[in-house]
Amino acid sequence: MPNGWKVGIDVGGTFTDVIAVRQPRGEVRTAKVPSRTDDRIAGLVSALQAVGLAWPDVDDLIHGTTIITNAIIQGDHAKVALIATKGFSDTLEIGRQNRRYLYRLDLPPKLQPLVPAERRFEVTERLDHDGRIMTALDPDSVEDAIGRAERSGAEAVAVSLLHSYANSVHEQALGERLRSRFRFVALSHRVNPEAREYERTTTTALSAGVMPLAAAYLDDLDVAKPDSSRLHFFHSAGGMASPHVLRDLPLGLAASGPAAGVTAAGQLARTLGIERAISFDMGGTTTDVCLIVDGKEQITSDRSIGGRSLRQPMVAVESIGAGGGSIARLDHGSLTVGPESSGADPGPACYAKGGEWPTVTDANLVLGYMDANSVIGGTLRLDTAAARDVIARLSSAMGMTIEGAASGIVKVANAALLRALRRVTVERGIDGRSCTLIAFGGAGPMHAVALARAFSIGNVVVPTHSSMFSALGCVGARMSYAQQRTLRVTSEGWDAERVGRVRQALRTSLAAPLAAAGHDDDTLAVEEVAAIRYRGQSYAIEVTNATLDDPECLGREFRDRHRALYGFATEEPWELVSIRVRVSVARAGVVCPPVAGKVETPLPARTSFCAFESAGRMPTPRYDRASLTADSTLIGPVIVDDAWSTVVVPPGATLTADVDGHLHIATGIGT
Amino acid sequence: MSAGVDPVTLEVIRHALTATAEEMSLVVMRSARSPLLREAGDLSSALTDADGHLVAQGRDIPMHMGVMSFTVREFLKRVPRERLAPGDTWFLNLPEVGGNHLPDVKAIRPIFTQDGIVAFAVSLAHWADIGGAVPGSYVADATDAWQEGLRIPPFRLFTAAGPDREKLDMIRANVRGADEREGDILAQVAAGRAAETRVHQIMAEHGRNTVVAAIAAINERAEVQMREALAAIPDGVYTGEDWLDDDAAGGGPVAVRVRVSIAGDRARFDFSDTDDAARGPVNTTPFIAAASVFYVVKALLGPDIQPCGGCYRPLEIVTRPGSLLDPGPESPVVGGNHETSQRIADAVFRALETTGSERLSAGGPTTSGLVLFGGRRADGTWTTLYEVHGGGEGARHDRDGMPVVRVHMSNVMNTPAEVVEAEFPIRIECQRLRRESGGAGRHRGGEGLHREYRVLADDMSVTSMFERRIVPPYGLQGGDSGAPFRVTVVRADGSRSEMPGKANLHLGRDDVVVVESCGGGGYGRPESMGPDTLVNNADKGSVQ
Repeated sequence: MPNGWKVGIDVGGTFTDVIAVRQPRGEVRTAKVPSRTDDRIAGLVSALQAVGLAWPDVDDLIHGTTIITNAIIQGDHAKVALIATKGFSDTLEIGRQNRRYLYRLDLPPKLQPLVPAERRFEVTERLDHDGRIMTALDPDSVEDAIGRAERSGAEAVAVSLLHSYANSVHEQALGERLRSRFRFVALSHRVNPEAREYERTTTTALSAGVMPLAAAYLDDLDVAKPDSSRLHFFHSAGGMASPHVLRDLPLGLAASGPAAGVTAAGQLARTLGIERAISFDMGGTTTDVCLIVDGKEQITSDRSIGGRSLRQPMVAVESIGAGGGSIARLDHGSLTVGPESSGADPGPACYAKGGEWPTVTDANLVLGYMDANSVIGGTLRLDTAAARDVIARLSSAMGMTIEGAASGIVKVANAALLRALRRVTVERGIDGRSCTLIAFGGAGPMHAVALARAFSIGNVVVPTHSSMFSALGCVGARMSYAQQRTLRVTSEGWDAERVGRVRQALRTSLAAPLAAAGHDDDTLAVEEVAAIRYRGQSYAIEVTNATLDDPECLGREFRDRHRALYGFATEEPWELVSIRVRVSVARAGVVCPPVAGKVETPLPARTSFCAFESAGRMPTPRYDRASLTADSTLIGPVIVDDAWSTVVVPPGATLTADVDGHLHIATGIGT
Repeated sequence: MSAGVDPVTLEVIRHALTATAEEMSLVVMRSARSPLLREAGDLSSALTDADGHLVAQGRDIPMHMGVMSFTVREFLKRVPRERLAPGDTWFLNLPEVGGNHLPDVKAIRPIFTQDGIVAFAVSLAHWADIGGAVPGSYVADATDAWQEGLRIPPFRLFTAAGPDREKLDMIRANVRGADEREGDILAQVAAGRAAETRVHQIMAEHGRNTVVAAIAAINERAEVQMREALAAIPDGVYTGEDWLDDDAAGGGPVAVRVRVSIAGDRARFDFSDTDDAARGPVNTTPFIAAASVFYVVKALLGPDIQPCGGCYRPLEIVTRPGSLLDPGPESPVVGGNHETSQRIADAVFRALETTGSERLSAGGPTTSGLVLFGGRRADGTWTTLYEVHGGGEGARHDRDGMPVVRVHMSNVMNTPAEVVEAEFPIRIECQRLRRESGGAGRHRGGEGLHREYRVLADDMSVTSMFERRIVPPYGLQGGDSGAPFRVTVVRADGSRSEMPGKANLHLGRDDVVVVESCGGGGYGRPESMGPDTLVNNADKGSVQ
């Protein structure tokens, strides 16, 4: 008997956010509890308890997790054996031959390979780049390699044969032989059917390496989960996935958390009819930004996590090492902020846990933005004197007031963030000034307006539940799967039949798990992205909503995009390099209820002194976020607080709350 | 402190200028055609002040550092400022005009405000072909500058109205792959245009005077950092040398010698004792010498110093006219860019060895390991595979060297086998570590690479331009040298021959080129369990 509860739980490194929504009546409950790495299942149960639910009450639980991300970053993966084409088993160690640090001789120039030489084995076989078999797979070499892999003590096996993206027949044959001997087998054409052997091999080896971890967690969940409750995961490309798909392809969880936040921002942009938006998620040590066009988060197929190249469709988040904990220093006449961070421990000086360096958070406290009297999350009391002390060291060296130095720290931190905004807009051929900034995360709403002004952005939105926005992304997720595949066709030698075949194969394989979950084919939405370049170029341009059945039209779309990005386009021949297909269930599932329409005008809870750039120090009213009603308008300077974050509205900016509780801020400049 | 700009504004403007140069590189890298621009390629972008002093650089390619800090200043010596107009893009590639070799073509865009020029944007891109005797324009047996390809003196290729069609056609008529080269040109122009937009925005936001003052302060800051770095080296005179395998014209090894004089916070690098200019294309320019010196100082002493014109003020770099590093405009230079630059870096490293060998790495693959295949596609158009090969890293006092990496002056990636096979008539037979090629030592040198290329066309050209074939990567503190670089051509009939380090050959169908890149030098005596004896291995590598 369904209870109507749909719950999103995002388990981060420090906190677990949970949002529960009851359909159809629209009751919403939220909570933030400490994450439990010692017992993850108990962590989920206590997150549910925090919103007054037991697991059997939940119809659908959508889960975002950092379990795979952390395993990759910490190098905590299973013993993997690699089977490669004869002559190519060292590819993993050769890599792309470039070094990580140009001027650091002391540091190792690259990471150790995921699979050491003694667990790398070869089979006799060879394909060409069109997938033609040059040398058939030799069964004796297969038996030999599998035997050696067993004796090597490997727990999982990765198979990466040359050109398997063009023809998977040899990998499939190997996979069949391996599955009777190993529980965990990752085949490169399944993990990442794209050209470039190093990136595909390392992604496949990483996938094999985290399969046992993913399986153990999924097994635990299977035992704990009541039969009446459905479980889904939030995956890196921005959508919901079934647990059994992630058993095979666990790297789908590699960017689960950041993807959920961006996806929530995409949903919001669709709801509010915002054509172009930038999601801005600022936390303690990092800030994630991502471009959203027409309500769709941009996707990339090339990222690295923990220094490992990880090639699969993922939300195109630009991460930079700047956050509330970033440390400010005076270095040869320049005020620098980051990349060093005080982290969660000791944290900023104002946390009074031993932090000795001035951080962005200390500056925000000195400026009066953070409420010196509040207790963050009910436990953490801020020490203003400690913040002033560490910033005074800087300000006296700079010949500035303490407030002046604090304001400088925020300004320099914003300058670093601006570079990230530029990377996701200008460098994608989008004028950033036309975008709306959607700010969330612990520090996002505090910096958003100043940052928006520096980028000539006119509008900022701080959404409802902004401090647990990733969990909201989970609860509103729709089921979707995406994959990118190499497909080389030139405009002159267009092979419509081959293009059609590959498109169909991708659609079919991506739709299969959706069909298994009971979604009819005609309820599925299909998006196709084509990567195209002129001959001789190395980088392909992504053409979204590509007209793949009409090469002339596709060529026009490519040239338009090229012109938008680089300012020119020529009539030369071009070539399709790869296509990416995403199949989704058409409709988002959840609508949050409107904020109850109180009629009285909100009153400030208190007043504190805040310093603003160009306006100086002035008394500033502080409102509790919960007291704001639909259509209430506040003229800056104003601060809006909730339990976990602070919205800063400087002089000249205007805040309006809408019926759904989203805060719209006109920055007072730009469009 | 710095010229009246507060520390906050200074940092904000520095971020904005660096972001501008980064954006330029992105535009070139993604839209240009030449294969070397692939991934982390052979390109650079820079902003200079109104006098041509480097302010910010987009991609930090050590080799281009020196070049970019001289290009505009040398350009302004040739082209009077009054002749420059808003919307211009000037092109040049003459090595003697703040350059390095002909394939690295620079596009310069003056950026104006109402008060005149405030900055220059420079885009450097390595063109896949610049004409000359062989596809790819690496003429191994060139003996003068004119054999190496099209020489472009500073000329205005674009005005605000668009391209100068006759000049564009002049370039097209002199290079292989005219359409692709035009694509490169458009990409470089687009980069300058993007930079101009950004610089105007930065000026509008902060005011022209503040930006100009900030630029001066950025240079001043780098100068102070550089002075502090130099002051950390004990005063004295240090000498070092390293050897090119040969002069690329049938002669023997050629010496690069440096005398480093440190006095307080200043340093003089005198290369006067370096051998005379070579007959073959391993000469280079004083600008490359400066780039190499700067790299070593930065790597040893100050990895965080912002690359800009101010860094050079405490450095005096002396080259002798007529020598390998200052040969004059008539000498061939194509290979000196990436081979001799690495010799200069090695010579300076060796000179500074006595100031702390634990700061140094043993000899590594200080060569591009370039093997360049040229031929025609099925449709008759020209194509070149410009492939550089990393080798084993030199060991250090506390760790082994790693296998197959690029070191020091460049950091260009390899081309994956799956890309080579899809785009060129070549099959990669294998790519593996070259086992046992690292030098023995208390810590071992890294392993080199073994990669084989099978030709699948009837006629291809192949060019080699690599070092460390005769003079192997040196060991340090008693460690052994690494195995030397070796390239072997196995003809379809089974006959084998070793390819010289600088050569052009023709290949036929089913010929195989076997590249075995050098291993890294070891560090410390291999057998020794106790303290290492101080053995200088410098001479060991001369000729084997």
